[in-house]
Amino acid sequence: MVELENPLVETQTTCFHCGEICQDDIKHFDNKNFCCHGCEQVYQLLTDNALGEYYTCDINPGKSPSTQNFDFLNHSHFRDQLISFSNKGISKVHFHLPAIHCRSCLYLLENLCRIEPAVVKSNLNFGKKELTIWFNEEKIDLGSLASLLARLGYEPLIDSGEGQTQQKQRTSQQNQLFLKLGIAGFCAGNAMLFSFPEYLGIEAGSLKNLFGYINIVLGTVAVFYSGSEYFSNVWSHLKLKKLTIELPILLGILVGYLRSVYEVFSHTGAGYIDSVSGLLFFLLIGKWFQQKSFDFLSFERNYKAYFPLVISKLIQGKEQTCPLQEIEVGDHLIIRNQEIIPADALLIHGRSQMDYSFVTGESEYISLEPGNSMYAGGRHHGELIEIEIKKALNQSHLTQLWEQQAFKDPNHKTENWENFANKVGMYFTVILLSLAAVVGIYWFQHDPNKWQNAVVSVLVIACPCALAISYPFALGHGIRWMAKFNFFIKDIQAFERMSQVDTIVFDKTGTLTLHQDEKPIFHLIRDLSEWEYDTLFSMVNQSTHPLSRQLTKYLRSENLGKSISLDSIQEIPGKGIEGYREGMMFQIGHARFTGHSLIKEQDFIRSESQLFIRIGGERVGYIEFPWENRQGIEYMIHALQANYDVYLLSGDKQSHAGTLLDWFPDSSHYQFECSPMDKMAFIQYLQSQGKQVAMVGDGLNDAGALKQAHVGIAISEDHLHFTPSSDAILQGKQVVHLPIFFKFAKFGLQLIKASFLLSLVYNLFGLSYAVQGTLSPLIAAILMPVNSLSMLLIANIGMNLKGGSLKSYLENIKR
Amino acid sequence: MEIMYVMIGLSLLMAIGFLVAFIWSIRSGQQDDLITPSMRILLEEKEYKNNK
Repeated sequence: MVELENPLVETQTTCFHCGEICQDDIKHFDNKNFCCHGCEQVYQLLTDNALGEYYTCDINPGKSPSTQNFDFLNHSHFRDQLISFSNKGISKVHFHLPAIHCRSCLYLLENLCRIEPAVVKSNLNFGKKELTIWFNEEKIDLGSLASLLARLGYEPLIDSGEGQTQQKQRTSQQNQLFLKLGIAGFCAGNAMLFSFPEYLGIEAGSLKNLFGYINIVLGTVAVFYSGSEYFSNVWSHLKLKKLTIELPILLGILVGYLRSVYEVFSHTGAGYIDSVSGLLFFLLIGKWFQQKSFDFLSFERNYKAYFPLVISKLIQGKEQTCPLQEIEVGDHLIIRNQEIIPADALLIHGRSQMDYSFVTGESEYISLEPGNSMYAGGRHHGELIEIEIKKALNQSHLTQLWEQQAFKDPNHKTENWENFANKVGMYFTVILLSLAAVVGIYWFQHDPNKWQNAVVSVLVIACPCALAISYPFALGHGIRWMAKFNFFIKDIQAFERMSQVDTIVFDKTGTLTLHQDEKPIFHLIRDLSEWEYDTLFSMVNQSTHPLSRQLTKYLRSENLGKSISLDSIQEIPGKGIEGYREGMMFQIGHARFTGHSLIKEQDFIRSESQLFIRIGGERVGYIEFPWENRQGIEYMIHALQANYDVYLLSGDKQSHAGTLLDWFPDSSHYQFECSPMDKMAFIQYLQSQGKQVAMVGDGLNDAGALKQAHVGIAISEDHLHFTPSSDAILQGKQVVHLPIFFKFAKFGLQLIKASFLLSLVYNLFGLSYAVQGTLSPLIAAILMPVNSLSMLLIANIGMNLKGGSLKSYLENIKR
Repeated sequence: MEIMYVMIGLSLLMAIGFLVAFIWSIRSGQQDDLITPSMRILLEEKEYKNNK
């Protein structure tokens, strides 16, 4: 079948710099098209500095530049935080640049010194999207440097400081592990080499003792350096009176090691050093593999990241910028259009349309007059206003949420949760120790020469290393595959918890429904004339009601109506707008206002998202603004309902739910007008009934619920956006695939359980020798690596096959 | 058989040499960024030199 080509596509011009479609007002320069003045300027700047190669690395590599002012960075508060090193006028600074995406970016940013001579050197870390710049601070200040980057299209993301230290910590931890892994590998390889004569049964004579001593040295390094984490972990768990899977592992390693030391020094055997260090090597590979970190994402953001970094303070009538931390009760601040209110405050001057949708989930704006109070987190729309701070930053209405227990306790989610490995580990340890005791007592009575050997072999061979290896590999592969589908999971524990979930709670606004400007549906009894459209357009154009704004936008895009002056115009809050033109009365707004009759109850509920129109005495009908649900949401909810209990929680009014409600069985499965606290309490209530809850939400109003739930999944349209702290970040478009993702997590755990059974078979085989006291080091040396390797293979092959089939399945859906 | 002692010593020495190299590579931050260098090598710098 031949698809018809869309004729529109060919006539569209794309910007040479950023590749976006040029709307109107196309700029021409150098025979190339640009979508805006900014893009054109960047092109000019680059070609002037002989950096034109930027455009040859990739097609349309640029990003539209931003004009944000970064002068606030010169404030000592930010300067000290950002500049990591300063000597003889040369300073070193790290910037996080989320816009980095291709080779061209690398080329441009590392050649920054050619655009700005004060820059000495710049070095990019592509994976972390971090640019390190050495620059001469006497010639250019920090603010101008950041502004330059923003002008090139790479706007730096300035963190509140906590994120940076966290990342540094993580890097040093990773390096530690790397070091331990390398050394364990070295010890294991060499120990095997020096055990070779033993394997082959060669009479090595005096060499045998030398080999033994070298092995002991290697083993000591492996056990006490590479395995040091096992000691500290087991010790801290024992203090809490908990038995974990790490205890039998450590026991096996330690007993094997001590036995080897004894055998070597008493010249009675060769010991198990090769098996022990080999096992440690495998275990550490697993640990390294499970540490997949998404450096460009932050899972631990709190409200501070949502607030602006600087605010404009009024000091003796003069405006001054200062860091957010420095505001105090009683300060007067200037807030401009689209800015966020940093703390609970009182409106002093000006009028405001406050958008609380991110904080409460409510989609309608609230009108505020001087004297009204406003809450932290609201986004101001309208003229410049002056406010007076009433409460300190951390005591505001919104930030109270972060004072809850769930936020203060970092181990909140793992405290009452046992993962499969530890649950099994507990039984395993008990059984293993009793078996060793029984074997020991038996041989002590029957053949006292054998009892030591038997007990040691039981402890060494039965160590549940398989579980410790298949675990990190299976789950590590799991989160890697999920990341390919734009579902970023914080760690393997979160992935495992996902497999145990039986209840899923959704937020509405931003999660199931979109803020997108949808196309309104016209239910009019006749067509309107141009004259009438002009009038209506002029009326809604100056209103800030969300429906008015949507209608204005739609009319403008369709070229229906233009702005004209009316005789009079009046907006009646909660009702609508009334205007007069040439003596004719126009009304647009609520049905009660225009006098339309609503018959069914359903009409009343839906009417909140409808605009009724009355022209003169004639009621011409209404325009409906459907709440657009994400595509495929209905199917997803039904698919989930087959296996899970699905709930809906919203801060919005029930009337805004639209068709969503029809998909939930009864009213106990949804709740509206929830405060952030209510949401958190609802999750707690479900948990108190023994349910394993996953919460899916997007805004600050879900922050408490996300934190409280066993698995908190934050939705983000693109991963640069702010997301509240969570266990996983899911791209908005992928929400519909949640059932598949949950299934994948379940599969991962099943795979682990299956491989655990297999390793038990190996263990029983080894034990059958061990209990008789006839386990030779050779059998141990073969059996243990074979066991570990097969666990590794099963986890790798199983997860990759499943992940691959998922991928092709999702690609098929797209087509 | 005496040669064995020399050979074992040598083999251990070589292995330790590699281990030291590995530790040095981590300490000096060579493992910190494994992506960017692979991209950097593909960029040419001819143009700049010609202009100079």
